[in-house]
Amino acid sequence: MYPAQIGYYKPQNVGEALEFMEGNDAKILAGGQSLIPMLKLRILKPKYLVDIGELAELSFIKEGEETTIGSTTKHWELASKRISGLEIIQNAASKVGDVQVRNVGTVGGSLSNADPSSDYPAVFTALDATMIIRSRRGLREEKAEDFFKGPFTTSLDPSEILERVKVKALKGYKQVYKKIVRRAGDYALVGLALAIKIDSGMVKDARIAFTGVGDKPYRSREAENEIKDTKLTDSDISKAVEASVKGINPPSDSRGSSNYRKEVMKRLLKNSLEEMRNAS
Amino acid sequence: MKVKVNGVEYEDEVEPRTLLVDFLRDNLNLTGTKIGCDTTTCGACTVLVNGRSVKSCTMLAIQANGKEILTIEGLSSDSKLNPIQQAFKDNFALQCGYCTAGMIVQAHFILSHERDLSEEKVRDMIHGNICRCTGYQNIVNAILDASRRMRA
Amino acid sequence: MSYAGKSIKRLYDDKFVTGRSTYVDDIKVNSLYAGFVRSNVPHGRIKKVNKEDALKIRGVVAVLTGEEINQLIKEGIGPWTTYVDPRPWKIPLWRFAQGETKYNGEPIAMVLAQDKYTARDAVEAVSVDLEPLDAVIDLQEAKKDKILVHKELGTNYGFVGNFNAGDADKALASSDRRVEVEISNERLIPSPMEPRGIVSHYDGNLTIWYSTQIPHFARAEFSRIFGIPESKIRVIMPDVGGGFGSKAHILPEELAVIAASIRLGRAVRWTATRTEEMMATNSRHNVFKGEIGFKSDGTLTAIKGTLDVELGAYLTYTEGIQPTIIPPMIPGPYKVRDLMIKSQAIYTNTIPITMYRGASRPEATFIIERIMSTVADELKMDDVEVRMRNLIREDQIPYTNPFGLKYDSGDYQTLLKEGVKVLEYHEMKRWASQERAKGRKVGVGLAYYLEICGFGPYEFAETRINRDGSVIVSIGGTPHGQGTETAIAQLVADELQIPIERIKVTWGDSDTVPIGLGTYGSRTLATAGSAAISSSKQVLDKMRRVAARVMNADVEEIDYRNGEFIHKKEGRKVSWDVIAREAYGGKEPGLSASVVLEGDVTFPYGVHMAIVEVDDYGIARVIEYRAYDDIGRVINPALAEGQIHGGGTQAVGQALYELATINENGQLAVTYADYYVPTAVEAPKFKSYFAEKYHPSAYLTKSKGVGEAALIVGPAAIIRALEDATGKKLNKTPALPEDILQ
Repeated sequence: MYPAQIGYYKPQNVGEALEFMEGNDAKILAGGQSLIPMLKLRILKPKYLVDIGELAELSFIKEGEETTIGSTTKHWELASKRISGLEIIQNAASKVGDVQVRNVGTVGGSLSNADPSSDYPAVFTALDATMIIRSRRGLREEKAEDFFKGPFTTSLDPSEILERVKVKALKGYKQVYKKIVRRAGDYALVGLALAIKIDSGMVKDARIAFTGVGDKPYRSREAENEIKDTKLTDSDISKAVEASVKGINPPSDSRGSSNYRKEVMKRLLKNSLEEMRNAS
Repeated sequence: MKVKVNGVEYEDEVEPRTLLVDFLRDNLNLTGTKIGCDTTTCGACTVLVNGRSVKSCTMLAIQANGKEILTIEGLSSDSKLNPIQQAFKDNFALQCGYCTAGMIVQAHFILSHERDLSEEKVRDMIHGNICRCTGYQNIVNAILDASRRMRA
Repeated sequence: MSYAGKSIKRLYDDKFVTGRSTYVDDIKVNSLYAGFVRSNVPHGRIKKVNKEDALKIRGVVAVLTGEEINQLIKEGIGPWTTYVDPRPWKIPLWRFAQGETKYNGEPIAMVLAQDKYTARDAVEAVSVDLEPLDAVIDLQEAKKDKILVHKELGTNYGFVGNFNAGDADKALASSDRRVEVEISNERLIPSPMEPRGIVSHYDGNLTIWYSTQIPHFARAEFSRIFGIPESKIRVIMPDVGGGFGSKAHILPEELAVIAASIRLGRAVRWTATRTEEMMATNSRHNVFKGEIGFKSDGTLTAIKGTLDVELGAYLTYTEGIQPTIIPPMIPGPYKVRDLMIKSQAIYTNTIPITMYRGASRPEATFIIERIMSTVADELKMDDVEVRMRNLIREDQIPYTNPFGLKYDSGDYQTLLKEGVKVLEYHEMKRWASQERAKGRKVGVGLAYYLEICGFGPYEFAETRINRDGSVIVSIGGTPHGQGTETAIAQLVADELQIPIERIKVTWGDSDTVPIGLGTYGSRTLATAGSAAISSSKQVLDKMRRVAARVMNADVEEIDYRNGEFIHKKEGRKVSWDVIAREAYGGKEPGLSASVVLEGDVTFPYGVHMAIVEVDDYGIARVIEYRAYDDIGRVINPALAEGQIHGGGTQAVGQALYELATINENGQLAVTYADYYVPTAVEAPKFKSYFAEKYHPSAYLTKSKGVGEAALIVGPAAIIRALEDATGKKLNKTPALPEDILQ
């Protein structure tokens, strides 16, 4: 497969990138691991690519009370860094695609692509991350949950770039990203980003977000509420598990049918909650 | 664009849409790198760009501008096989040979980044490279064997 | 000095590990690039091909329609008449689509451009006015003959044959038990790593570089189809990146490339993208539905049923084999003699089906092994015991099966006994049951197979000794990854008693190898290897005659050992190299011998075992795969083992992961990203053993064949292991996570 004719622009900084994008039919190229396959299939045929892949100003991991991650930070960089209180990011990054994809692909590219079965959207939704978006109009912030609008659709308009992601550390939370795949390297059949804070046997906070089960990451507040302020007994878990699939209609595709996905969601949540409880 | 491939500098004009793998194969005549799929799945086109393995079907040639590329052709001088190549041969780690270039380049990347290799680890790190002939066991053995040879 | 029996390293690996291999897409020829506009409906009338926009693109040379291409194509793609008798078949004319398109993805126009990117642009710029017609996608629907794929045939049934032996009805009636069975394989995609490709150059003669398993058959077909004598067609098989049966298949795209090269007078090339490759070769999809009868002691007495084989939209070169070879192989290694099998092959508006590794024997084996396991389950008998009761006894072999196939040699019961021990079947069953008690879902299953392979009717080899004493062996077999060339060099080195380094094996060029059948059906070592032994014997006789002349002796006085010709009485010696040089010295010059050796089928057999684990989500992994086979004499154990590993991993794919879904619009609904060819993570660990006391074939090599064994029996072993792990009944491949979880 071969992409259609396309123009290429490599800016020296974000400002130049934004300037170029205004009024041009342009797509941001970072690592290209999501974009290039779509160019090859000619699903996307923008006039221009704006290559921000090597802008040093966008590639960083700044730890602190709030950690910020530059959008062109590569998966392998996140996979090789344990960020205290945000271990789930490392966990998820190490499960993206395969080694080669992780060597090139970027966190911002993956988030902006918003594949409904990809890994980060659920993770950053569970983390209540803030997306920091730049355009020539300036900066705006948006909650991850609002950022993802649908399959391959975010709130970014064509003149905007996802510049960085800001996340508060979940100190003292047990956290894990689990991904069920039929074959290694595939997108998630179902993925679960789970973080819970247990204090003296009681669940103080819970974050439950799935990927692969709908148009966009699915945060199940009902399930979270079922276990908050509980001791996470079998019955608490089973209530959360039931709540997690209420009102949701996962897609049917080559990875599995809708009903099967629901069953996997339930089992995945149940097993993961039990593991966390038993480990505490 | 300018690239250094296997230690040699090249300068060429390319259409922005040209994929790196086509640039290597068609412009530079380095046909050792193969094309096996169009979905970034098979890894037959794996090369190193600035030391990291990438699928060259999923990178534009222009993205490699100014960078250093290593392909299968750069792994050995004509007279002597590199230890990974030798290990592939000694362990019957190839049959039709089509995945072999990508597999060996990926093995090269793994061996230059990972010290403690187990069979499981190797399997996990090559799952972006599909082989339809060997069933992988001999490939895994070859990579572990090469790892021993390179440390010896 | 002996090479046979040893794991000699492959002769030609250096080029592959250093990137100097030459597959068809690596060949540099000044040529135009072909691209194909494809149908997006499963059945439609082609009203108009709008070329203008495409022709405006810089670098686009031509756009050709079916009408234009077919002017050069005299006859359609036909069945492989060496193995398929066309007489009982209803065969539609299959050329480049003209007037109508019969499947979604069928090429309906061809573009030619200066590079492949431009060709792709041109494909996009061609629009076709297609009027959708009623289509039949589903095999069961097609059987109703309501919507016809080919009106002119009057039916969707391409073949109906009755395979009757004994009296199945009577045997069923007198059985202690009768059980209904339904056993099926879904549609697969062979998926060699190198997609298909072709370069065609015409200068009055045709030179075709072609990623094929059958260069000589391809030449014959091209000759017939284009009406050009074979002497004017040269088919060259470069390095081929796997085939698995799918590259013994001729496509309309390939005919179009040849036609365009003739029409335009320019070399034309086409390399399929993976997406195109997936639409070029689909395989399997068949259903067996019927009833079995057995005695209370586990003896299978009767099989009666119907086998439906899907053909897709056309009869491919190879698919005609399936409906005629599956039924006679259903009895397998077992004594059952009362069978009534109706075998039918049905056209649908889908991608045409081709053979795939094992071609018919995987289907037959899956059916009979599922039947054996069904009997075991019904009677609560052990899998081994049931098989032991039904296996043909050693004193009955050679054995003529109820359909007339002659099983040449073997001891099936002893192999099962030994296999169960070597593979530690009972130990692993116990282990699995203990692990299950602890909550793990693990299971162990075995399956037995008897394979028919070594297909003749003949094969070619030539042994040439050069003036410097080095040797070139040309073979009609066409290895493309199996390593058979190395095994053949071993045989020739032993025969000629010279170092293997002095031997080069060549194949795959129809101008330099006069005839050859190719590589498929686990035949190459037995057929081409035996021919090479034979031609080497003959050339050695010539050497001996030259030696006699040189040594002024009678031929009978000359002994030959390890590179030296020795006068028996006088002890004088002359070296191999001196004789080679002398042979080109004047009198009766030359040292070559070629042989076309006849040969008939042979029957290897074995028992394979799978250990599987299923997780809480129904996702199964084959942890380990073990094999015990009698494949006749083993010439190179490492190469043979490699075939078990590769076939076994494809069996894992067929049993658990690979599914070529066709949607209601007849469109292939998977990409390579979700058609799950196993990676190193899904591939099992292997243990492979070959019976030390082997049973030889009648071939000079005494070998039988191993290329397909693990894909023939593997799916049955894996499905059985899954049943053990989950307690469910599973009678189709693939077993999907949701089937397992249900």
